Amino acid sequence: MKAIILNVSAALVIAGLLAASGCTDTAPSGPSASLGSVTVTKYVAIGNSLTAGYQSNGLYESAQIYSYPNLISQQLNAAGANLPAFQQPLWPDPGTPSSATSGVASRYVIISMNGPVVGPANEAITALAPLNAATLARPYDNLGVPGAVIYDFLDTSSFASKAGAPRNNPLFEAILRTPVFGNSILAQATALNPDLVTFWLGNNDVLGYATSGGTSPAAPTDPAIFAQLYGGSLTLLHQALPKAKILAANIPDVAAIPFFTTIGPKIAATLPAGVYLRYQKHGNAGPALDSTRFTEANSPLITLEAGPYAALIGQSPCAQWYHDLAASLGIPFTTLFAQYAAAGIDTTTPFGLSPSNPFPDALVLDAGEQTIATNAITAFNATIANVVANTSGAVVVDMNSFFNSVKANGLSVNGQTFTTAYIAGGLFSLDGVHPSSKGYGIVANQYIKAMNDKLGMHVPYVNVNNLPGIPTPPLSKAHGVQYPNIPLSAWKSFHTLWGSEN
Amino acid sequence: MTLHTVCLCVAAILGSARGFAGGFQLNELGARAMAQGGAFAARASDPSAIYFNPAGLAFQTQPELYLGTTLIMPQVSFYGPVVDANDPAIKNETKMTNQTFTPIGMYGTYPVANNITVGVGVTNPYGLGTEWPSGWVGRFLTTKVDLASFYYTPTVAYKVSDQLSIGAGLNIVTGTVKLQQDAQVIDTTTHVSIDMTAKAAYGFNVGVLYKISPEWSVGVSYRSSVKLSATGTADFTPQFTVAGLVNDNVTSSLTLPATAFAGLAYKASPNFTVEADYQYIGWSSYNQLAIDFTKNPANNVVAPKDYSDTYIIRIGGEYTMNELKLRAGYLYDHSPVASAYVDPILPDANRNGVNVGVGYQFSKAISADLSYMFLKFDQRQATNTVSNFDGTYNALANLIGVSLGYTF
Repeated sequence: MKAIILNVSAALVIAGLLAASGCTDTAPSGPSASLGSVTVTKYVAIGNSLTAGYQSNGLYESAQIYSYPNLISQQLNAAGANLPAFQQPLWPDPGTPSSATSGVASRYVIISMNGPVVGPANEAITALAPLNAATLARPYDNLGVPGAVIYDFLDTSSFASKAGAPRNNPLFEAILRTPVFGNSILAQATALNPDLVTFWLGNNDVLGYATSGGTSPAAPTDPAIFAQLYGGSLTLLHQALPKAKILAANIPDVAAIPFFTTIGPKIAATLPAGVYLRYQKHGNAGPALDSTRFTEANSPLITLEAGPYAALIGQSPCAQWYHDLAASLGIPFTTLFAQYAAAGIDTTTPFGLSPSNPFPDALVLDAGEQTIATNAITAFNATIANVVANTSGAVVVDMNSFFNSVKANGLSVNGQTFTTAYIAGGLFSLDGVHPSSKGYGIVANQYIKAMNDKLGMHVPYVNVNNLPGIPTPPLSKAHGVQYPNIPLSAWKSFHTLWGSEN
Repeated sequence: MTLHTVCLCVAAILGSARGFAGGFQLNELGARAMAQGGAFAARASDPSAIYFNPAGLAFQTQPELYLGTTLIMPQVSFYGPVVDANDPAIKNETKMTNQTFTPIGMYGTYPVANNITVGVGVTNPYGLGTEWPSGWVGRFLTTKVDLASFYYTPTVAYKVSDQLSIGAGLNIVTGTVKLQQDAQVIDTTTHVSIDMTAKAAYGFNVGVLYKISPEWSVGVSYRSSVKLSATGTADFTPQFTVAGLVNDNVTSSLTLPATAFAGLAYKASPNFTVEADYQYIGWSSYNQLAIDFTKNPANNVVAPKDYSDTYIIRIGGEYTMNELKLRAGYLYDHSPVASAYVDPILPDANRNGVNVGVGYQFSKAISADLSYMFLKFDQRQATNTVSNFDGTYNALANLIGVSLGYTF
C-alpha cells in the first residue's frame, strides 16, 4: 500500500510540474505601441467638414469630440506622444445655428423611427461661437472648416468676407477667427509648427455639385485647376514645414454615401409594374424626356433630400416641390413657378409619373452627372497620388478604395458590421454624407493604418466598439419604415456651405 | 481480486488521456484509456470499448459497470484583435473565463452467451464551452457558447474465435446548443441568447479486434457521422422592434463527424503493454454553422467554418505491479481549423498531450482508474479571418479523469 501511495504521489508530482510549466502564458511577439522613428510633438489637421467632425448637418460638441483628428491625437498619445491638449472649435450642444438669425440648431435628430422622421428639432442654440474662441490665443489644432474647397487652403482673402455672398459661410471666420493667427489655413497651420499633419481637402470640389443634383454649383472644380491648386498647396505646406510628415487622404466616390443610395431603391420597390419614374436631367427645368425603373445600368441616383417628395409620386395635382422650393428661397410661389410653367411644367398631372410634372432635377443625380462627378474624382485622386508621390514626407491615405470596399462588402469591426445603409448601416450620420461617431473612428483608423504601414509607426487603433452610435428615440417607437422624411427647409443650411460657385 | 478478470485483453493499460480533441470532439471517455494517450482500440479491454472499439466487449466475460467522468479545465488567452502585423494591440490580452467541464463515460456490459457480450454506453463525445468576460472586445462575436451531446449506445459484440471479435452499436444522439453574444443596432446594445435542443438522431459504430499472437493485437473501429436537427429560441434583451430584433424561434442543423480508430498493441512482457493508435476525424462535415430565424429571416446566421478532416496520433502504455497499474501516454492532435476560421467561439490549434495515470484493484469486484493529462495548444495565430477578428490564442488544459469499475 505504501508503494501505491508513493507511485500515486509521483504521478501527481509529475502532473503538477506539467501544469506549472504550462501556466507560463507567453505573449505573442509583436510591436509595442510606439511612434517608431517618427517625432510627433504637435499634430494639426487640415480639411473640411469631415475633418471638423461635422455630423447630422451640424457641428456640436458631443459629436466634435469624436472627430477623427481628435481621436487620432488620443491614439498618438497612447503611442507615446505627449501632445499638448488638442484644441478644437467646440460648439456646445445643440451646436451651430441653421442661419445667423434663426436661433435654432441646424443639426438633425431622429424625431421618430416610424418613417423614420429625421430633421432639426427646433433646438435653441446656446452659443454663436466656439466655447474657447475668445480664450485660445492661437490657431485651433483642428483647422477643418466645413465647406472649404481646395482653393481655400491658400486663399488669403478675409475670413469674414466668406460669410457674405456668394459663399454665405460664416464658419471660416468662426474657426480661423483672425488673420493675426495667420491669414490663410496654410499660414495658421504653419504657425502651429506641427511635425504631423493630416490633409483632407478636395471633397467639396465635387460634393456640392453632386448633392445638389448637379445644380449648385453646376460643375465640379475643373481638374486642371484642381491639380494646380492641390500641387501648390502641398508644395507650400511642405516648404513651410519641411520636417513634417503629411498624411493626405484622397476623395471617396460620392455614389458610395447613403445620401444617394437610400431613396432610389425605395422608389424602385414601390413603382408598379410597367410604371416609370419621370425625372429631369441635368439643367432641364421643363417636362421630363427621361424615365427610369432603376433597373437600367445607368440609373439615376436620388438624393436623400427627395424623401418627402418620393412619398408624393403619383399624386395629382402636386406642386409641393415648387411650394417648398419657393419657401426655401424666400420668394413667392407664383414668381418662382412662372418660369417652370413657361417651360411646360403642369402640376395638375401625376407627380413623378407624368412627363409634365417630373421629379425635379435638384433631387436627381442622373447618369451624365454621375459620370461628371466620377471623372472629377478620378482626376482629383490621380492628382493627389501624383503630388503626394513628389512631396517628401507625404503619404496617401486611400479613403476612396476603403469606402468602395465598404460599399461593396460592408465592414466588420470586432464583430460589429457596418454598411453604407442609411441609419441602420451605422457608418454615416443622419445627413447621409458625414460619418457617425463610429464612422469617424473608422476614418481615424484608416489614417492610423497609413501611419503604421507607411511611416513605420505602431499607433494603437481606435476601439470603434466604444464609440457612440447615432442617438435614437426610445425603443418603443413603432416600426414601418418608408421614406426618411427631412423637410426641404432643413437642407438649406446644408447647401449653404456647399451650394455656391467658388 | 484483480481487475484482470474484466480486462481480458493484453495487460490492460488503462486510460490514456486524449485531451479534448480538435474541434469540439472529446475522447476522454474512460480514465484507463485516457492515461495511455487514448491508444486503446487494439485492446479495448474495459467497458469503454463501447466507445473505442466495440469488438473489445466480446473478450469481456463478466458483467461490469464502468462509470467515469473527466474534469477538463482549459485556460485560454486571446491577444488582439489586430488590424495587421504592425498593430500594437497584439499585446492586449483577454483571458477566457475559466470553466470546468465534466464529460461522462458511463458503461455497462453483460455477457449473454459464451461468445456474445452486450453493453450500453452513455457518453458525451462532442462538447464545447467557451465564455469570455462581459464587455470584452469580441462581445459582438461571442460571449458564451455551450454545446453538449449525449450518445446512448447499445452495443453487441461477438467472439468469432479466441483471436477475432467483432462488435457493433447503435448511437442514439441528442444534444443542446447555447450561443450568446451582444449585438449593436444604431446606439443600442442588445444581448442575444440562443438555446436549442436537438431531437434524437441515429448513427452506428462498428469494430474489429484481432489478436495476431499472444504479444500482438490490432483493432479498428468506426463511428458514423450523425446529423442533428435542433430547434429552440432566440431571445433579445432588450428587444428592438425597429431593427427586427425580436424574440424568435430558431432552427439549425449540425453534423457530428465520423471518426475511426486504428490501433496496434504489443505486450512487451507479462507486465508491460504498449499501444499506438491513429484516429481519423471527418471534420469536413462541419463546413458552416447556419441558424435560421422563423419570424425574421433577416437575422439568419451563416458562419462559414470549412473544417478539414484531421487525425490524432496516440501512444501509450501500461505497467502492472500486482494490484497497481501505472500508465502513461502521449498524443498529437492536428487541428481541423484553418487560420482564417479560428475564432473566439472555438480557438482551435494543434495540441500535444502528455498523460499519466494509475489503476488500482481494491477487491475482486472494485477497481478505480485515475488519470491526468496536460494538454498544450500550439500558439495559434488567426490571420485574415472571415470574422475580421485577427489575433493570437494561447491555450492549455488540465484534465483529470476518474473511472470506477464494479464487476459482478
